[in-house]
Amino acid sequence: MTATEPRRAEAATGSTPGTGPTARSGGRRPRGRPAMYTTYAQDMALLNTRGKKVGLGALLVLAVLLPFVLQDDLLRLLATGCVLSIGAIGLNLVTGYAGQVSLGHAFFLGVGAYTASVVAGDPEDEEVWGLGITFLPVWLLAAGVVAAVLGLVVAPLASRLRGLYLAIVTLGLVFIGEHVFREWDSLTGGVGVGRQAAEPVLFGMDLSRRSESFSGDQQMYWLMLAMLLLFALVGRNIARSAMGRSFAAVRDRDIAAEITGVDVRRVKRRAFVVSSFYAGCAGALWYSILGFIDPSSFGLLLSVQFIAMVLIGGVATISGSIMGAFFIALLPRLTRELPAYLPFLSSSATDTPNVFQFETLLYGLLIVLFLIFEPRGLYGVWIRVRNYWKAWPFSY
Amino acid sequence: MTTTAPRRTSDAPAVTTTVVTRVRDRAAATPDGVAMRTKELGLWRETSWAEYWDEVQDVAHALLALGVGRGDRVAVQSENRREWLTADLGTVAIGGVTVGLYPTNPAAEVVHVLADSGATVLVAEDQEQVDKALEVTGRTPDLRHVVYVEPRGIRGRYTDPRLLSWSDFLARGREHRAAYPGLVDETMAQTRPGDLMTLIYTSGTTGLPKGAMLSVANVEATVGALTGAGGLLDPPAGPRDLSLSYLPLCHVAERIFTTWNNAATGIQVNFAESIDTVPANLREIQPTFFFAVPRIWEKLLATVQVKQAAASPLKGAIAGAGLKLAGEVGKTLAATGGRHTAGSRLRYALAWVLVVRALRERLGLRRVRWAGCGAAPVSIDVLQFFLGLGIPVYEVYGMTENTASATANRPGTWKLGSVGVAHDSVELRIDPATGEILTRGPATFQGYWNRPDATAEAIDGEGWLHTGDVGVLEDDGFLRVTDRMKDIMITAGGKNVAPSEIENALKVSPYVKEAVLIGDRRPYLTALIGIEPDTVSDWAQQQRIAFTTYRDLTEKKEVLDLVQGIVTDVNSRLATVEQVKAFRLLPKLLDHEDGELTATQKVRRAAMAERFSGLVESMYRGGGRG
Repeated sequence: MTATEPRRAEAATGSTPGTGPTARSGGRRPRGRPAMYTTYAQDMALLNTRGKKVGLGALLVLAVLLPFVLQDDLLRLLATGCVLSIGAIGLNLVTGYAGQVSLGHAFFLGVGAYTASVVAGDPEDEEVWGLGITFLPVWLLAAGVVAAVLGLVVAPLASRLRGLYLAIVTLGLVFIGEHVFREWDSLTGGVGVGRQAAEPVLFGMDLSRRSESFSGDQQMYWLMLAMLLLFALVGRNIARSAMGRSFAAVRDRDIAAEITGVDVRRVKRRAFVVSSFYAGCAGALWYSILGFIDPSSFGLLLSVQFIAMVLIGGVATISGSIMGAFFIALLPRLTRELPAYLPFLSSSATDTPNVFQFETLLYGLLIVLFLIFEPRGLYGVWIRVRNYWKAWPFSY
Repeated sequence: MTTTAPRRTSDAPAVTTTVVTRVRDRAAATPDGVAMRTKELGLWRETSWAEYWDEVQDVAHALLALGVGRGDRVAVQSENRREWLTADLGTVAIGGVTVGLYPTNPAAEVVHVLADSGATVLVAEDQEQVDKALEVTGRTPDLRHVVYVEPRGIRGRYTDPRLLSWSDFLARGREHRAAYPGLVDETMAQTRPGDLMTLIYTSGTTGLPKGAMLSVANVEATVGALTGAGGLLDPPAGPRDLSLSYLPLCHVAERIFTTWNNAATGIQVNFAESIDTVPANLREIQPTFFFAVPRIWEKLLATVQVKQAAASPLKGAIAGAGLKLAGEVGKTLAATGGRHTAGSRLRYALAWVLVVRALRERLGLRRVRWAGCGAAPVSIDVLQFFLGLGIPVYEVYGMTENTASATANRPGTWKLGSVGVAHDSVELRIDPATGEILTRGPATFQGYWNRPDATAEAIDGEGWLHTGDVGVLEDDGFLRVTDRMKDIMITAGGKNVAPSEIENALKVSPYVKEAVLIGDRRPYLTALIGIEPDTVSDWAQQQRIAFTTYRDLTEKKEVLDLVQGIVTDVNSRLATVEQVKAFRLLPKLLDHEDGELTATQKVRRAAMAERFSGLVESMYRGGGRG
């Protein structure tokens, strides 16, 4: 402090030439002028407007308080929504941002789920393998890493193939995975038997079991909400950093990207690795909610559901992925209510037409309708609403 | 804090207060305060008072190093930017005289001003301005140095020995400053109130520009009249206020509102990127202090009208309703002299919710504390519109020759359609014989540079400045300006007509950019009208009218009908003798380079009448349209 004071005074009175302070890079922004940027940090901030700050804050408070209001079955559904969001963000990174169509997402979810259950599984069990490490961060990381390694193995396919061909090849991955999961009894327990999923244990406490003050579903909901926040924040930062921009460059025109100095192969490899890591973690967490893994769950339908989340939510957006995942997670619950309004639909699986058939139909229908009418998904709807008010009182 | 005040007085005893000493004192009191901001690569970079003062001293020393002495002229030709201000103040610090040039000045005018003023140093912004100065060298023998600010296109390509880059210029200044510390303080101490400070070349709608000589005392008189207590706004502008600088700095109005106001009040000046980005920059800066010429206010109004018309049905209806409410508020306030009635308050609250809040934010006028209009006459309709939005636009009146201080409307004492009451330091009267407005006071200029003949015409023996404007002084002290004296028309029927009022009524329409009334010694009034290309082409597209060029657009029957509608509407509010009986659309956009407009975008009537004589005569040959 004392050292700077005289220098300032000298510069001000001009008795010593050439000692003026150099230009400040981090400027001060006068109050109430959101469009006036004095530093790039303001321009790049995730929450760059007051509306976003207040909106997200309110949403978070609401999300944290929900368990005190809602029933456990709904909370379980919302926790599932959080986990599916993580998976959808993963798929959106590779398909939405990097433009590499992947139908193999279900495979990576399965890999994650089984890795976690092996790491956390009971070593005494004679039917299936188990390492007995139930600490959540360990099995979660293991699930992500194993899936990521497999992603790395698959990635070279993407550097040779594009578009439809890549989609077909990743489709093959799902079939191989499904076959392996069915037949590898010491890993999966085999068809019709299955195995226990990893238990979410944190510091000696199994979160899925009832504790003194909260129910298992309440604790699981908060856990998954925290996980979603973590993964969404990382995903958003990947998307807006150099990595995400190189993804977009490869998606928009890989030749042009290569000319501008983007290593296309490496970018595709990274996209697959990151996406598989997300899928692995999502798989592990998801089955820790369900508690039991059936080897026939990781089929094409699951991949299609994730594609639906991305397309309905919004391609190449993180918040869109979350919206899409919650939409798909809550859809069954909504269709279950339908027979009350549409008498010709049966709620029994043995009748035709029934709600389960209708649900499957709805996935396809929604994908088609969104692609035609709102290609930017739920996120696009939101943007449209926001811009309507932003342009008030005019149209542009 | 307590130590700065006594030191200032001991360091510089009995120094005449100038704009430069004000900046020095601000730098001493608030070295880290924001003096100005410039937008660079998307960011508003700030310059503190200490940095500002530091650069002023470097410039002053650099000029001394180049041999510029007391009374020598230094010319500046640049868009508004920090270097304009530091070059100006550096010149004044050493007792030099600043000469401003419009960046839009064509080469011929540049050479005229340089030759006439005998400037020894020119600070030119970029290659374009350097080219103009170097084009003709024979007529500017005094010009010894040309300092360029932007090196692009100049460095390594030009070999003229007079060229010097801004950074080299500053480096020389620093060298000189190290060798002779305190020299600038000495030169500043030698400045006396009567010293010449700047030459402002008036654009002049007739003849070549003349340099109006303004002294230190003239400038201080204006600064005192406008910025202090009882000045333009109350409480006066201060370091927490923001302004946007975008009008040419060589014009006296912008020099007041940017350079002098900044130094006197500490207001934060923000430089617009260019005249085209003013709407966007306004939105970013949201100035609290905003001065604009009528053309800008008209354009803002046109933007609102066009966007409202193009809005979706629901939004259009709501915006229309809100603007209608605001319009009624404006009408009420205009009638009551700014006092709200219960009804207008309610209407304003409703309009605020519906439209006004969002609209002001989008126009960039959300935080405006003082809005001003001057330099040309403006239509009441325009002012009333902004009044309805809660932005009273205070008209001010002045001219280069009285350092722009004559009269002003102020919060509390204003009347729509008048230019306000005279400043305390200004005497004002109307010549009983001619109706010309005369002013006298400390801000009256020293005369025209090298033109004693013109000076004698402007200032009479008693010190009254003949403004050349005709006006009416009302009993309560409010002045109404009718028009320029030489523009007043006398029709063949012997009726006096002030053209600007009718022209401005036409220009309220978003589709009319220029209107030039004709009728001097003619049987009836006619008009040459220039359409606004942006709005009319939008309109034409909506009407599915195919067109190619501007000229083609002006020849479309539908466009003629559109303008006829505007003319008929304006005529309905005028007395029969004042009605525009015929009009023609100008086939081209008016331009400074072609001599149709002055540097400040005012129409040169003589040049127009000559250039478009065919069009004019066609209107008096067996009657025109309508």
